[in-house]
Amino acid sequence: MSSEKLSIADGLRAAVPIALGYFPIAFSFGVAATRSGLGMVEATALSVIVFAGAAQFLAVALIASGVPVLVAAFTLVAMNVRHLLYGPVLMRRAGADASRASAWAWAFALTDEVFGAALGALARGRRFSEPFMVALGFSAYAAWVAGTVVGAWAGAGALDRWPALAGALGFMLSALFLALLLSMMQRRQIPLILAAGLGTVLGGWLGSSTLGLFAGMGAGALVGVLGSGWRDAA
Amino acid sequence: MRPDVLEICLIAGVCTWGFRFLPTRFDLDRLAPHGLAARLLNALGPAAIAALFVTGAAPELARPWAAQGPLAAGVLGTALTWAVSRSVVLATLAGSAAYGLILALAG
Repeated sequence: MSSEKLSIADGLRAAVPIALGYFPIAFSFGVAATRSGLGMVEATALSVIVFAGAAQFLAVALIASGVPVLVAAFTLVAMNVRHLLYGPVLMRRAGADASRASAWAWAFALTDEVFGAALGALARGRRFSEPFMVALGFSAYAAWVAGTVVGAWAGAGALDRWPALAGALGFMLSALFLALLLSMMQRRQIPLILAAGLGTVLGGWLGSSTLGLFAGMGAGALVGVLGSGWRDAA
Repeated sequence: MRPDVLEICLIAGVCTWGFRFLPTRFDLDRLAPHGLAARLLNALGPAAIAALFVTGAAPELARPWAAQGPLAAGVLGTALTWAVSRSVVLATLAGSAAYGLILALAG
């Protein structure tokens, strides 16, 4: 394993595809929020304070439908429970000597994509560093907030004239997850990956995409624990 | 800004931050290297990334076969570029470009 520590530049480089993927999604969020009656400041506040894509789209729907504040807030909280797993998985891979002094800051930006990119970098043999996490997480955050502001300001239809560009940007995060998977996958993990994929499809089909995520992670982890895929899995 | 929207932002934001930050403080050094918890944490990483990929691609897969050219091009572009370059960033950008190109040609 290489002992080279991940740098700020590595973090900025790793954030490029995430930022390119986040911007159009946040743009769509800004458009959807203002269309649903939220002001530009309110839409931006959701991105600045919550920074959780799917939960923010749900927030717009809940606020627009007028559900009680606590019901809306705790529905969003429930959607983000999966993030409880990301810190331990990442720190386990980072090793016992990894600093966590600034975790209160970089963990704010530990979204699905940031988690995946950080884990992928560690799986390729680099050493954990907090400046890397700050650069990676907050570059993604900046793109998310900027996309929201531009979307709320521009309104609907801004990307309608370039459907191929909109499609390519929309596929960016799927491509990122696929590339991360390829970068860390070993042959013995194939059953684990297949189980995760199957669990996600079944969970999504039976319930929602959030249930699908839980089902996929659970099925993959179960196969990984029972089989041999755990040894070099993360 | 309406106070109820701010309240929703603050409750959801603080709880989400807590979910992301507090578990990084767990003492993982005491975990037996091959114990159940260690194995679970090691397996959860790739399982989560696979689940996130499938969640993103699932709406595309629900379309008719004839409309799946961009997805096929995107997946192929990502995989081939990864095989050649071993760069996650390049593979992501190439896969996304391949998706957009086929979408433009089909449109």
